[in-house]
Amino acid sequence: MRLQVGGRWAVLTALFISASVHAQAPPSVARLKSCAECHGEDGNSLNAGTPSIAAQPRIFLENYLVLTREGLRGSDEMQRLLKGLPDRDIVAFARHFSSLKAVPAPGAVDRVLFERGRAIAARSRCGSCHLPDYSGREQMPRLAGQREEFLLEVMLQYRQNRRRGGDTMMSAALHGIPESEFPALAHFFSRLK
Amino acid sequence: MKIKACALSSAALLAFTVQCAFSQDKPKPPPAWHQGKPAAMAESKLAPVPGKMTETPASEIPLDKLKLPKGFKAEVWASGLVGGRAMTMNEEQTRMWVGTRAMGRIYEVTIEGGKTSHKVLVDKLLQPTAVFANGALYVFAIDKVLRYDNAANGAAGQPVDMTAVFRLPPEQHHNWKYVRLGPDKKLYVPFGAPCNICEVSKEYAQIRRYNLDGSGMEVIATGVRNTVGFDFHPKTGELWFTDHGRDWMGDEGPEDELNRLSKPGQNFGFPYCHAKGVVDPDVAKGKKDACKGVTLPVTTMGPHAAVMGLQFYTGTMFPKEYQGLAFVARKGSWNRTNKFGYDVVTVKASPDGKGAKVTPFATGFMDPKDNSFWGRPAYLAQLKDGSLLVSDEQLGAIYRISYSAPAPAKKN
Repeated sequence: MRLQVGGRWAVLTALFISASVHAQAPPSVARLKSCAECHGEDGNSLNAGTPSIAAQPRIFLENYLVLTREGLRGSDEMQRLLKGLPDRDIVAFARHFSSLKAVPAPGAVDRVLFERGRAIAARSRCGSCHLPDYSGREQMPRLAGQREEFLLEVMLQYRQNRRRGGDTMMSAALHGIPESEFPALAHFFSRLK
Repeated sequence: MKIKACALSSAALLAFTVQCAFSQDKPKPPPAWHQGKPAAMAESKLAPVPGKMTETPASEIPLDKLKLPKGFKAEVWASGLVGGRAMTMNEEQTRMWVGTRAMGRIYEVTIEGGKTSHKVLVDKLLQPTAVFANGALYVFAIDKVLRYDNAANGAAGQPVDMTAVFRLPPEQHHNWKYVRLGPDKKLYVPFGAPCNICEVSKEYAQIRRYNLDGSGMEVIATGVRNTVGFDFHPKTGELWFTDHGRDWMGDEGPEDELNRLSKPGQNFGFPYCHAKGVVDPDVAKGKKDACKGVTLPVTTMGPHAAVMGLQFYTGTMFPKEYQGLAFVARKGSWNRTNKFGYDVVTVKASPDGKGAKVTPFATGFMDPKDNSFWGRPAYLAQLKDGSLLVSDEQLGAIYRISYSAPAPAKKN
């Protein structure tokens, strides 16, 4: 399953490269804009498979950006965009996006599926780490309002040992939750306010 | 009804509608990770402590907060090794290799006249560790084994892919590996239990040893939940290893362990029997003699302490009372209300494991007053001059602890 929308990448990469010329300058508006192109002006993604990054915990964003730069996580496009990005800029990006406000993913709420997801999440105690409102903390991402298709894909990646570069705790956390329950979980989290 | 709802929501994801059709399956048991989390702790928000994945300059390391016994001092020996943990060196101690977990890197450190510099030797691996053995550098990731030949003066070139012969099982959780070369010139490799508490298949919860070419695999210890540190006793050559106790049984235990393997094949109790005979409340239910035939630890090492690296001190720089002791790094707890560990301790015991006494050695990484911490000591190594290296996984640094007798020097 392909997550990123392909069309704009050439333009974005060009933007990024022009920004890289001033590698010593603070993270530029141009660089932040290149994130916004796909992840939304306010960090809330309008593209189906692209994750929202607004209000994600700062440490989670830092870790994600480092691991993606290292080629361990994220899409090929994200790895290319972040290649060589210094830690200093990663820290600044993480601070910026963690300070934005999250909104629920767009689309109608399927009440039955939503309630089913809520029950599975409660039973699986997702809230022990991601917090009872699923807003995330420290290295553990916000689930509330995240894009549904993205959540589903990530759970499948964990289940199928395709998700690399993270702590293995999450693989263990998904043990025993059947794949058939992932869609309900993804729907529930994505529509949370 | 449920099937219909699921199919509707998955309209854009046809691939998943088939799986949705099974969503009326009867409820499954709780995830293994949560197994053993009692109802009383269901709302607990204890969670693993986040690591730091960006570089920390040496100038920002608050080493002045470290507390050591009189006459000892610590200095930053290397920094910028983000996520660095287990260390291995060539015989001359002119090169060191430091592995990581999530960072996926092996660092190569060049040691010259007491100064260090480093580079990334290899990256993009799944939780790699390194061990120098017989002139070669072995890199063990969870899913891969690589061997760099003629590595004593720096590893270079394409490694030999040894993955096929080592036959590593696929589970990731608790399967980062600490690997050590034994006095028998074999590689000692642990395979942790891929859960907090569960019945394990025959590939996990054990320590194995292999010949250097990956042949001759033997399981030498079973019932080992998650050992990530060991050393061989300087007098007996026996394997001593640390092991992490299970989670979600409350703040006080079961405690982590320091174990001694006195003969191959011993069973150390997991998942039925923990610490010094704590019967597991979940998987050992109704099981008689859960601890029968189990080799109990030399000593317990504290609740949720996260005991890591173990190093018998064989140098002479430190005072006599430290010579022959085991130094153990306790990276520190997460599954506990008040943090515990975050220190280096010594363990004094007879060679047959009797009379063990645990004494704090390096403390101050954690402040019990506000439950905060700045560093997490993970692994230990001894330099030829008798000083002791401590890796701090949190700050990606290695500290060197040395001793000089307070003047006037005591006769000792």
